[in-house]
Amino acid sequence: MAVTVKVLRRPAAGKTSYLRSALKGMGLTFKHMVNPNKATHQYPEEPVKLSPRWRGTHVMEVHADGRPKCVACGLCPTVCPANCIRLVGGEDDEGNRYPIVYEIDEFRCIFCGMCQEVCPVEAIHVGQHFENAEFTRERFVYDLDRLMEQDHESTLLWDPSDPRSE
Amino acid sequence: MADTGTNAETVTLTIDGQDVTVEKGTTILQAAEAMGNRVPHYCYHPGLTAPAQCRLCLVEVEGAPKLQASCVTQASDGQVVHTQSEKALTQRKGVLEFYLANHPLDCPICDQSGECKLQDYVHAEGRKRGRSREPKRVFGRDDFGGDVLFYGDRCVMCTRCVRFMNEIEQNPLLTVVERGNRSVIDTFFDEGLETADFAGNVVDICPVGALVSKDFLHKARAWDLDHTPSICPNCSQGCNIDLHTRDNRVQRLKPRTNLDVNQHWMCDYGRHRYDWMNRGDRVEAPLTRAADESMTRASGWNEALEPLAGRLDELKGAEVRAVASPFASNEEMASLKALVDALGGGQIRYRSPRTDEEIPLPGFPTLVRRRDLAPNVKGAEILGLTRVGDDAAEGGLEDLDDFEGILLVVGDELADQPDDFGSSAGLFIYLGQYPSPATRTAHGILPISTHAEQEGTFTNHGGRVQRFWPGTHPPGAARPGWLVMAALRAHLTGSAVPAGAAEMFEEAARSVPEFQGLGYPHLGTRGAVINEPVKLPGT
Repeated sequence: MAVTVKVLRRPAAGKTSYLRSALKGMGLTFKHMVNPNKATHQYPEEPVKLSPRWRGTHVMEVHADGRPKCVACGLCPTVCPANCIRLVGGEDDEGNRYPIVYEIDEFRCIFCGMCQEVCPVEAIHVGQHFENAEFTRERFVYDLDRLMEQDHESTLLWDPSDPRSE
Repeated sequence: MADTGTNAETVTLTIDGQDVTVEKGTTILQAAEAMGNRVPHYCYHPGLTAPAQCRLCLVEVEGAPKLQASCVTQASDGQVVHTQSEKALTQRKGVLEFYLANHPLDCPICDQSGECKLQDYVHAEGRKRGRSREPKRVFGRDDFGGDVLFYGDRCVMCTRCVRFMNEIEQNPLLTVVERGNRSVIDTFFDEGLETADFAGNVVDICPVGALVSKDFLHKARAWDLDHTPSICPNCSQGCNIDLHTRDNRVQRLKPRTNLDVNQHWMCDYGRHRYDWMNRGDRVEAPLTRAADESMTRASGWNEALEPLAGRLDELKGAEVRAVASPFASNEEMASLKALVDALGGGQIRYRSPRTDEEIPLPGFPTLVRRRDLAPNVKGAEILGLTRVGDDAAEGGLEDLDDFEGILLVVGDELADQPDDFGSSAGLFIYLGQYPSPATRTAHGILPISTHAEQEGTFTNHGGRVQRFWPGTHPPGAARPGWLVMAALRAHLTGSAVPAGAAEMFEEAARSVPEFQGLGYPHLGTRGAVINEPVKLPGT
C-alpha cells in the first residue's frame, strides 16, 4: 500500500478566527451544566449507591447481648484462598465456643466473599463499603472488636431483584 | 485375633463381584476391609467385641432373607455379598436418618468435626436433607471426670466406650442408663473417670463428638492437624503414637495401631505429657567460650565446632566422662559412644526417672505404663551405658566435682546440679535442648533437637526398635544430637558424617550385635525386635 502524506494548509495568522470553535465548545459545557441526564457524581458530598452484591471490607454480626455471632468453627480460615483470616477458638464462661482472636488482614483479602458463603452461623460478612483509607498499615488488620463495630450494610450473596442471577 | 499360622483354613467369598480369600472365622466386614471396601460401622471396633447394635454395617448376602450385620456375620465359602446394592444402601440410608433424628448437627462447634464418622457416612450415604420436624431431645454436656467431657446429644449409642471400660480397662465406670431414645451414657453417681488410667482411649474410639478431650477442647480443627508417626516418649513401653501438630506445636498425642506393642490404646499418663515438646526456652544457637573468656558467644555451627574439636584433639588421651539421657535416640547414644571411643574411650552414664508403680491395661496385659519413665532405657543398656543416680533422675554425678578430663553432657538438663558444675573439667561440652544454670562453666553449649523434631529410633523395654519421625521443626540452629557428635568426631578422626539418621543407625548396627541386621527399611512403622544374644549352656 502506497503511503501518502496529506498536507493541510493552515490559514495564515490573522486570516481566521477561533471564536466560532470556542463558542461551540463553551456551548457544550453550558449545555451539560443544565443537562438533567448528567453522569458526573458529586462524591463525596453525594454518597455512592453500591450494588447489593458489592463485596467490600468485612462486618461481624453480633448477638443482641453484644457477643459476636462467630462460633470459631474454623471454616473461614480454611476456605480463605488468600489465607488472610487468623482465628483462635476458645470457650467463654457460659460454655459457648467463641473466637478469642479473630483477625482479618484486609490488605491480603481478595474480597471473594467465600468466608461469608461458608459461614454456618452467618457471622462474618463482606460489606457494601469501600472507604477504607487509614494512616498506618497496621490499621488494615481488623481485629474482632473492629469487625463488630463496622456498621455498614453487609453484602447480599445474590441480588434480591434477581435471586437466580438470570 | 485369628491364628495367623500357615495351616489356617481359608474360605473364598465374593464381595461386590470380587473374589476374596480370607481365613475361616473372619467376618464379612473384616473381609471387605481387607480388600479396601469400608463398610460403615459404629459399634464394631477391631479391639472390642461386636454387639451388632448400630445396624449400620448391614449388607446384602445372597440367600439370606434379610440384610446381615457384616460385623458379626462370618464369611463362608461361596457367599455372595453386595455391600453397595440398592437394598443395602436404602437400608443404611434409613438407619442414618434415625441417627440424625436427635443429633444436634452442631458440627461448627464440635471438636470431632472433620474426623467424625457420622459426618463421613451421612455425606457418603445419607439423605441430602432431613425430614424430621419433631423437636430433638436435649441432654447438654456432662463432665465425666478426668480428661473426658460428654456431649449426650451427639452420642450415637454405639457403646464402644462402655465396652472399652468393661473389656479392656476392666474398670466398668461407664454404663447406659434409661431406655429407648432417652438412653444415654453415664457414670455412676459421682464416680467419674478420674480413677481410670486409660480413659483417654474412649475419646479416641468415640466415632462422633460425644466424648471429647478437655485438653484438646476448641484447640484446633481436625483438618488443620498434621499427623506424624512417632513413639510415646513417656515410658519404656514405646507405644506407637501419632503426633498431631499445628503451627509447629504438638497439639495432642493419639495412639497408632501396633498389635505387637499397644494394640489401639495408650495410657493417660503418656497421652498428656507432651507440653515439654512445645517448650519455648530452648538453646537456639551454638554458644562457645574460649578458655580465657567468661561469657559464651553465639556463633554458626562451623565456628563453634572447629575450636571445640581442636580442644578435644589437644586433650586427646585425657579421661573422658559422659552423661547421656534416656530420652535420646539410639542414634544419639551410638554417636556419643563413637565420639567417646574416638577420644580414647571412657565411661558413659545416664540418669533416668523411675517410679515404683506399673500401670497395666487388664484387657491387653502387655501394654503397661512401665516403671522406667524414659523411652530408651533399654537402648542405653544395649549400648553399654551405666545408670547412675536415684529414681528422680538426680545425683550420681558427684565424682565430676573435681574431674579434670573431658566432660560431655548430652540431653541431660542437669536440673539438680549447682552453678559451678563441671568447673574443674578440662573441657566441658553440653549438648542440650534447654539452657540450664549448671552449664555456666561449659566451654560449648550446642543446641540439639528433641525427639519430636528429629528422626530416630527408640528401643522399648522388650527390645523392640521402633522408628519415629520429625513432627515439628527444631528452633533456630538446633540439630539432631547424633549429627553434632558425628561432626565433632569427623573433625577428630576424619570419619565421614552420616547423611541421615538411617546411616547413623546402620553404623551403630555394625558394631552392636543386638542391632545387627536391623535397618530403617526393615523397621518400617511397626519396629522389629533386637537380636537376643544367645547364651550357650555352660557359659
